[in-house]
Amino acid sequence: MKTLSLRNLGKTYFDPYAGAHVTAVHDVSLDVQQGEFVSVVGPSGCGKTTILNMIAGFIPHSKGEILLDGTPVNGPGPERGVVFQSFALFPWKTVLDNVGFGPKMRGVPKAERDRIARDYLALAGLSHAANRYPNELSGGMQQRVGVVRALANEPAVLLMDEPFAAVDAQTRMTLQEELTRIWQDRKPTVLFITHDVGEAVFLANRVVVLSKGRILDEVAVDLPRPRVWDQLVDDDEFKRLSAQVLQMVRAA
Amino acid sequence: MNLLLQMWGGYARMTRRWPALAAVIPFIPVVALWTIVAEAGLFPRAFFPGPADVVRSFVTLTYKGILPDYLQDSLIRLFVGASVGMALGVPLGILIGTSRWAHRICWPVLLFFQAIGDIAWLPILLIWFGFGLTTMTFVIVYTVLFPVVLNTVLGVESVPRDLGRAALCLGASRARVLWEVTLPGALPNIITGLRNGLGYGWRALIAVEMIVGTSGIGFMMFDARRAGSTVEIVLGMIILGLLWYVVDAWILAPLERATGERWGLVTS
Amino acid sequence: MRGAASLAGSAMFVAPLLALLAIWAIVVPLFEVNPRVFPSIGAVGGAALDSIRDGTLIAHIGASLLRVGLGTLIGIATAVPLGVAMGVSPTVAAFLTPLFRFFSVLAGIAWIPIATLWFGYGFGAIVFVIFNAVFFVVTYNTLLGVQTIPHTLRNAAWSLGAGRWAMLTEVLLPGALPNIVTGIRTGLGFAWRGLIAAEMIATNVGLGYMLFVARDFYRTEVIVFGMIVIGVLWLLIDRLILVRIERATIERWGMVRRA
Repeated sequence: MKTLSLRNLGKTYFDPYAGAHVTAVHDVSLDVQQGEFVSVVGPSGCGKTTILNMIAGFIPHSKGEILLDGTPVNGPGPERGVVFQSFALFPWKTVLDNVGFGPKMRGVPKAERDRIARDYLALAGLSHAANRYPNELSGGMQQRVGVVRALANEPAVLLMDEPFAAVDAQTRMTLQEELTRIWQDRKPTVLFITHDVGEAVFLANRVVVLSKGRILDEVAVDLPRPRVWDQLVDDDEFKRLSAQVLQMVRAA
Repeated sequence: MNLLLQMWGGYARMTRRWPALAAVIPFIPVVALWTIVAEAGLFPRAFFPGPADVVRSFVTLTYKGILPDYLQDSLIRLFVGASVGMALGVPLGILIGTSRWAHRICWPVLLFFQAIGDIAWLPILLIWFGFGLTTMTFVIVYTVLFPVVLNTVLGVESVPRDLGRAALCLGASRARVLWEVTLPGALPNIITGLRNGLGYGWRALIAVEMIVGTSGIGFMMFDARRAGSTVEIVLGMIILGLLWYVVDAWILAPLERATGERWGLVTS
Repeated sequence: MRGAASLAGSAMFVAPLLALLAIWAIVVPLFEVNPRVFPSIGAVGGAALDSIRDGTLIAHIGASLLRVGLGTLIGIATAVPLGVAMGVSPTVAAFLTPLFRFFSVLAGIAWIPIATLWFGYGFGAIVFVIFNAVFFVVTYNTLLGVQTIPHTLRNAAWSLGAGRWAMLTEVLLPGALPNIVTGIRTGLGFAWRGLIAAEMIATNVGLGYMLFVARDFYRTEVIVFGMIVIGVLWLLIDRLILVRIERATIERWGMVRRA
């Protein structure tokens, strides 16, 4: 059953510096099944963030359709959760209130949304940080909060925009492992944007390669789960898939 | 030299243990110097009173009840003016900060009226409202308004775009975003604006009290000038300085720091 | 292309002000507003022409600008060296900061009574009030500026062979400049207000006096004209001089510190 479906999606905007219309995304069609983890990988400027912003409803699309469970989307909404590269945690709210923000907007009473938030914080091993402010946490912990904040709202699809690009390399690997664990636990539908080939392959069921605003090709990833870096680093299948995707990205 | 260094070391250790002392001790040599100059009789006493005279006049005026009354009048005026200024300035600032059209229309007008300055309004206000509370309140509102509006706009514009987006995609309505994201995000700047505005408002109040002159610390000082009583002028100046120092250092600055630093929103 | 853009920008800027003028031109005759309450545009124009023709406007503006200019110059000339000298030693700076904070709080208007007592009504007292408004604020900000210069910069200059004088001119002064400029802007803001207040109280020439004396005769057209002159003069001082200096130094160097 498909959840998210892009039909001939396109984006054209006027670039005041070039003084001309520029097409950032051409005719992108893509279906994401329920419970699937899809990575979109491509070099910077390939239009991947533009696609995500259109799906999230932050910017309008100029062409085609975005369907969620068969209905066209219009503007941002809670059925599409977003995890930001900049974390985008509310600095004036505690971790607990950040995670409980989505339920609060739905009108869930305080006690109930605290329970939901604590439940999700436990999932990410963050129970001890519930009453801290985001500014008091490390980058890795902030992004864990960012992920569970989006999940706590139980979106139909989770959109992740290079979420681990701003943390250090070691933390990034831990976060990737935790994300696969959480995904196995809750099975959310995920569209994950990244420029890191290893990350794309490690996380996804399917990797879509994007170049110059077009889908170039896609690769299915059938690696066993749970996935851990210690094992995958030497795994031949992982190496083969990564090399294959890397070749496509570099040829692009 | 060694002794001096040792004294300085002692002072540094002491002020680290009791930081409040650092705000008090530097005034001791100033007061001492003042006493010496006054007692030496370099200037006529009526012209240049010493600390003892000022303290004596403080006690007398407090005893008579004039000083507490005047102080209360000044503070109430400042408080009313600041409250109205905030109540008008924050919504206006948020409107200008969020709407491009409001920005285009209001910005030039704001800059122009800010340039006219509070005190220049006084003559026409006196014609409109006479010598009274309305005139004084208007001037203070006017002074507080502009720094609050300008800083609120700055604050709204400094809220990262992703925060608003995050709220939207977690299901917040536009109005909710305003309340949950824009307002708290702009708060440190709003407080900075209030701080600047009160700094100007305080001075404006003194000027207005001197010119309109019915009561208040400014009136007391100017009345004393008319009577040639320097002591009361100096007393008024010290009270003004102390009061503002207390309000600014113990209320406004910590408030600014509490929001700005805890949240990691750097406002310099 | 750029010229056209900046022209369009100025037009956008001026349009709301013109709209305000238009409202004024319509509302006052429409509701037959009493000229003792608010003047018509024509009356204000007339007042402007009169004061230009009989030379009083130039006299008032000249007197006001001379006072501000002189007070500010003396203020800056004394405050900057003092601030740098104090800032060079962290111990001295730490000791004196509360003092200057206290006096910069008092700066300007609060000195009017005692200034008029010491110097009598007139030029001396007003220049003193302006000097005062500028001096403490600029000293405090210079002190702050010298203190905020990163230590690595001083060490870098040192290791590159800078002596005391070079350290002063090449590192300390430019490093403190953003704060000095901010201080001058704030100080002049206080000074300008102090000037108007002082002129209402303590003199018989100047823009503040022009406004205040017009009040005695309910000459609202003179008052409104005076207010416009005060606003335009300040905009010119701020935009053409202060903001330019700020742009040329702070923003260009990427050292923007906004209040």
